Amino acid sequence: MNLSAHPVERSLQISGVLIILGLLVEALCLAWRGPLAFMVFLCVGGLLLFAGMALYLISLVSVPSPKN
Amino acid sequence: MTAPAAILYLLILLSVSLIAVVFVRPSVTVTRGGKIMAFLVLFFLPVLCAWMGISSELDRSKSTAFCLSCHTMEPFGKTLHIDDPSYLAAAHFQNHRVPADEACYTCHTNYTMFGTAKDKMRGLRHVYVYYFTTPPPPEKIKLYDPFNNRECLHCHEGARSFEQGAVHNSDPELLPAIRANKKSCVSSGCHDVVHNVGTLANVKFWNGGS
Repeated sequence: MNLSAHPVERSLQISGVLIILGLLVEALCLAWRGPLAFMVFLCVGGLLLFAGMALYLISLVSVPSPKN
Repeated sequence: MTAPAAILYLLILLSVSLIAVVFVRPSVTVTRGGKIMAFLVLFFLPVLCAWMGISSELDRSKSTAFCLSCHTMEPFGKTLHIDDPSYLAAAHFQNHRVPADEACYTCHTNYTMFGTAKDKMRGLRHVYVYYFTTPPPPEKIKLYDPFNNRECLHCHEGARSFEQGAVHNSDPELLPAIRANKKSCVSSGCHDVVHNVGTLANVKFWNGGS
């Protein structure tokens, strides 16, 4: 699956991938019981979700250059 | 699986499916409806999932099984099954004076505004010590601060057995001293046998109940 050539659409795709990975980590941590699951959930899942959402929000406010 | 966990899994599944649509066809976000959908699946639903996940993890971290999942805590878990009512933790656990599934948390959280948050920070430090350093042997583990009577009085204050107990009333200054945390409930000669993990080899165990 190729990424879109349009910069905003590409940002949305990358953001989507990051969020999906974050959600999968969250789902795994919910099934995995133990103190380390909580740490992985916060540090890995949380970081992926935050990065994905931040990228999406940045793509909303970023203005494409005239070339695009 | 509990109902909130099932709902969370469904939400995660829904989010992943909708994000996959945006990934495969990002051009759908050009329309007004597509923009709303993108906001829902790339921001609103992940925030909701994260919030529900954190809430679920925090709730789970209060469970007795969670605390006892570290090997260092196993001897403390065994003391809950000692067949001797003079062991304070065992008597509370076996008689359900504390919820059996949240036994550790009930006594070892501080009943103050930020008590839970403070304990979670300590818990994070425990995870670090457990995985990245050499944890101390169970018999060497001590409380950060002397046990505060506030944790006991949270349940016992106002209870008839506490207020009218013969020993508690043997000295008119004792009850006020207990309430003011000047005389510890677990001080020597009172309720001083709590976990005593060093005595595990010489005790009998009660394996009844759930």
